Amino acid sequence: MLAARALSKRYGPIVAVEEVDLTCLGGEVHALVGENGAGKSTVAKILAGAVRADAGEVTVGGVALPGGDVRAAHRAGVYCAFQELALVPDWTVAENLALVDRPLRGRFSRARAIAGAVDTLARLELDHLDPRAVVGDLPLADRQQLEIARALTGDVRVLLLDEASSALTPPGVRWLFARIRELTARGAAVVYVSHRLGELAEIADRGTVLRDGRVVDHFTRGSWTEDELITAMAGQPAERAHPRPAPARTETVLEVEGLTAPGLDDIALRLRAGEVLGVGGLQGHGQAELLRALYGALPAHARRWEVAGRRVRRMTPVQAVRAGLGFVPEDRKRQGLALTHSVGENLLTPWLRAAGPGGTPLLRRERAWVDRVLAALAVKTTGPRQPVGALSGGNQQKVVFGRWLDRDRRAVLLHDPTRGIDVRAKHELYEAIVRLAGEGVGVIWFSTEVEELVHTCHRVVVLYRGAIADELAGERLTADAVVGAAVGRTAVAS
Amino acid sequence: MSARSAVLPRRAAWLEVTRRLPAATWPFAVFGALFLLGGVLRPSLLSLDGLWSTAAFAMILAIASAGQTIAIVQGGIDLSIANTITVAALTFLSSTQHGTLVALLLALAAGAAVGLLNGLAIAELEISPIVMTIATNGLLFGIVLLAFDFSQLTDTPQIARDLTSGKIAVLGTEIPAILPLGLALLVGLQLVLSRTGWGRALYLIGSASEMAALAGLPVRRIRLLGYVLSGVLGALAGVVIASYFAQTSVTMGDTYLLGSVAAVVVGGASIFGGSGTLIGTLGGALVLGQIATLVPVLNLGVNVQQLIYGAIILAVVALYGRRRADV
Amino acid sequence: MSVAVPARGRGLARLTDGFAGLRRQGAITPLAAFAVMLAVYTAINPDLFTRIQLQTLANLIAPLALVALAELLIVLVGGIDISVGAVMSLAGVIFATQMEDHGAGVAAAEALAAAVACGLLNGALVAYGRLPTIATTLASAFIFGALANEVLDRPGGNVPVEVTNATSGELVPYVPAALVWVLGAGVVLWLILNRTVVGRQIYGAGSSASALRASGHDPRRAQLAAFAIGGALTALAAILLVGSTATGDPKAGDPYLLNAIAAVALGGAAFTGGSGSVSGTIAGAAVLGTIGSLLFFAGIESYWQYVIGSLIIVGVVGLPALTRIVRGRRGAVR
Repeated sequence: MLAARALSKRYGPIVAVEEVDLTCLGGEVHALVGENGAGKSTVAKILAGAVRADAGEVTVGGVALPGGDVRAAHRAGVYCAFQELALVPDWTVAENLALVDRPLRGRFSRARAIAGAVDTLARLELDHLDPRAVVGDLPLADRQQLEIARALTGDVRVLLLDEASSALTPPGVRWLFARIRELTARGAAVVYVSHRLGELAEIADRGTVLRDGRVVDHFTRGSWTEDELITAMAGQPAERAHPRPAPARTETVLEVEGLTAPGLDDIALRLRAGEVLGVGGLQGHGQAELLRALYGALPAHARRWEVAGRRVRRMTPVQAVRAGLGFVPEDRKRQGLALTHSVGENLLTPWLRAAGPGGTPLLRRERAWVDRVLAALAVKTTGPRQPVGALSGGNQQKVVFGRWLDRDRRAVLLHDPTRGIDVRAKHELYEAIVRLAGEGVGVIWFSTEVEELVHTCHRVVVLYRGAIADELAGERLTADAVVGAAVGRTAVAS
Repeated sequence: MSARSAVLPRRAAWLEVTRRLPAATWPFAVFGALFLLGGVLRPSLLSLDGLWSTAAFAMILAIASAGQTIAIVQGGIDLSIANTITVAALTFLSSTQHGTLVALLLALAAGAAVGLLNGLAIAELEISPIVMTIATNGLLFGIVLLAFDFSQLTDTPQIARDLTSGKIAVLGTEIPAILPLGLALLVGLQLVLSRTGWGRALYLIGSASEMAALAGLPVRRIRLLGYVLSGVLGALAGVVIASYFAQTSVTMGDTYLLGSVAAVVVGGASIFGGSGTLIGTLGGALVLGQIATLVPVLNLGVNVQQLIYGAIILAVVALYGRRRADV
Repeated sequence: MSVAVPARGRGLARLTDGFAGLRRQGAITPLAAFAVMLAVYTAINPDLFTRIQLQTLANLIAPLALVALAELLIVLVGGIDISVGAVMSLAGVIFATQMEDHGAGVAAAEALAAAVACGLLNGALVAYGRLPTIATTLASAFIFGALANEVLDRPGGNVPVEVTNATSGELVPYVPAALVWVLGAGVVLWLILNRTVVGRQIYGAGSSASALRASGHDPRRAQLAAFAIGGALTALAAILLVGSTATGDPKAGDPYLLNAIAAVALGGAAFTGGSGSVSGTIAGAAVLGTIGSLLFFAGIESYWQYVIGSLIIVGVVGLPALTRIVRGRRGAVR
């Protein structure tokens, strides 16, 4: 039904996808797996018409599909539920469902849209969504289901699901699988992009493994184990892919009790020097809020809040940096870097003093530190003066991380630092994080990849609905336990 | 990998230098070309006197646009410059009985107050800069009409006129005093923008305000200082304008509203913030000023001048300011 | 949630829906502000509800309300239009000068065509040329202003009394024509924005252009449409202004620029795009337009209208942030 041949896409010097072939038969669920940054999303976007490939071709039912044209894809029956939800926040649920592929000239009847939405939602068993609700106000899980529902409104011959279950609880996942089975029963093809291997065992008929933008392996139902798949995705066995941190020290660097904020419910946390504390759970359950609250980017209050032994009443990023914290935000392009500014300036941003030097004089004074950081992280750049926007994603992320190195930090908060970067940079970042912890800096690491949490962290707290569902360490810290706690199931001691 | 990075530095360094040049230098190149063009069409224009008078006009526009540059660099805009100029000029000329210096300080203090008002609303109340400065502009217009009595204004003090339109002998020719003084001001300000922590923070906030906040920079305080400085510079411009032209009116600041934005944009700054220099603004002002000189000489009429202004802005923005393609 | 809702429940639901919608778009405050102003106005000047006074007030507010609606469209797609004043001047002088030879109907059509053409030029440069909206409209403000001056370089033109009556007189006793024009345009615009695909696309383009694209729409067309419709509204504003002042003036539109932006802000629109309402904007324009008149009747020097107008704008727009600060809950880093 769907055949892609030799797909390639570069963003400047960075290869996102190279020579990828993919076939998906009608009635089949084909999984597309790979680590963060392997290129899965790019392939999905190319197939959906949201991104134009540099080379290669896509055919649907034997007919070639013009690239870069979402409308053409829809006409061919190819629909996609995107990872970065493609819903218009200011529209209502009904409008997001009704306004797909409508011509410019045309009337829009609100009443009919709502009635249509009611029907569609009923058909798809999504009765809990209110057609009149504005999408921007909905919780992430509802929005994700709506994104999927929107992809199901047309005459679907090929459905692309890009990390469609990242925020869904088990009932939501069951719902998704039911919809998938309905489609495959009708003869449609489903491409399921994910890195959650547990789901694949149930739903995937065949699969393709991507690593570093290339196809490295295939598998069929029942013929694979998780370990094999992880090894194929990483290129080496999991244990070797992840460095182990040194034992944590005893001194407490960060402690909160009763931390409450919008999306966070009574969190208690203690971080020791040199400890790598992982934060897991389904997307949208408070992980981002936890990190931002601890850093002061989100207003929060707590019964007890101490950083490096000093009491804190209210936190702002300015105070956080002064108190010895560091933060690597979720979106490196918009929140982590000023892309038009130089590498050096981005590294030195937190360390600017209003009355002190800036620009060239500052770089001259801090040159030794800048060179040290760039070398320690093996950042591929022509020098501190290069605009950071010219670097690859992995190197950019290293710059975001590097600004906190060798600056007397007590704790560093990381929001999914390895998302969307290439494998080599990812491993270099792992080493850097472990080295940082070895120097006595506490690390709080929110990751969407369970493997990272399980192999590189001393302890992992799993959040569910804004509260800590479970804390796992030592023998209890396994991938199954993390996934289980993420859905509200505390692991049974074995 | 290491072999490649050894070759890269030299080539990339050259690219970086040339890439950094254009935005600030091309307005001067265009000005030079226009000046020569004027000389070709009307040889009498090709004189030092002609150059200095155009330059003086441009320098005044550049000083009026200095505060605008700072506002735009930090990702905002200052649409209250028009009446800040008027209020400052009127304050200056209403207080000269206390001495010229005191009058000047009062005018600058008025500008600082305007900037403080703008800055507090924009930085703390998070009101959009366009809306707030428009509101302030209106407020100031009301103050101009209510608080000042035009019949009570004094003449411009001699020293003020000497420092602006008075001639200084330099290298055998005479140039208006405002030229070297204005240049010193702009260069000094640019040094502050480029070489101090506050100045670089301003650029960072203009490029990526969320990143600046998350990196621990005190964004609100930095913004506030930026708007205060814009206000003070606007007030200074008002004093300079009143002194140079030796006249005031209720609408004396109006042409500088869009004119200052035009000078900044033609000077190569990004309207979105994060880039731009005061020297570039001077270049932009020179281009606009030279067009204003050429047009009457070539008998083209003021409408053609406005048309050319519009075309130049479009050309600059089309060359340097386009948004990224989406697919 | 069950599907079947009793008939009366449906009507009530629609009412509460509408209210919630207005609240979301920020329209409640300006509507309330206008209600308060009207009450104060009536208290100070009980003669408001005479025919002459109603007409005068309507004629004062109408052009501003229409230009503000034009500005609203651009703000909805996420930009800001600095050329509305110049376009208004241009359409106005075309209308004023063409009337003598070609009659009011043709003149109005020409003014409309000119303004829509200006809008399309702006829209094409912004949507397809990918130029920043504010810089583009800055440039076009110069260009359109120059064109206006070319057509007519000083106040003039010949406006017959029938035209003035049609634009600024009364439709029926006690109902000013200007009011009818504004409300009519407002209703049409509301229908376009809420009951047509292109209208929804305009909101979508400002809310999230990438999401709009993923739904199979082209945000560029929505932006172009917004600019074109804005042009039409600006033309209507110009026609009404020329009608009520009985002159064409190449600088007539200039003062309207800043007030139009202020009215849109007062109306509760988000300058990031995607959110804003017709009723809020009209209410915002009405508040601004009424201040001067109100002060006059209250015996306060009319120059205070600038001060009070600005304070109202800052108060309304800054209110959400102010309440947050007062409650001690500073906003999150955005």
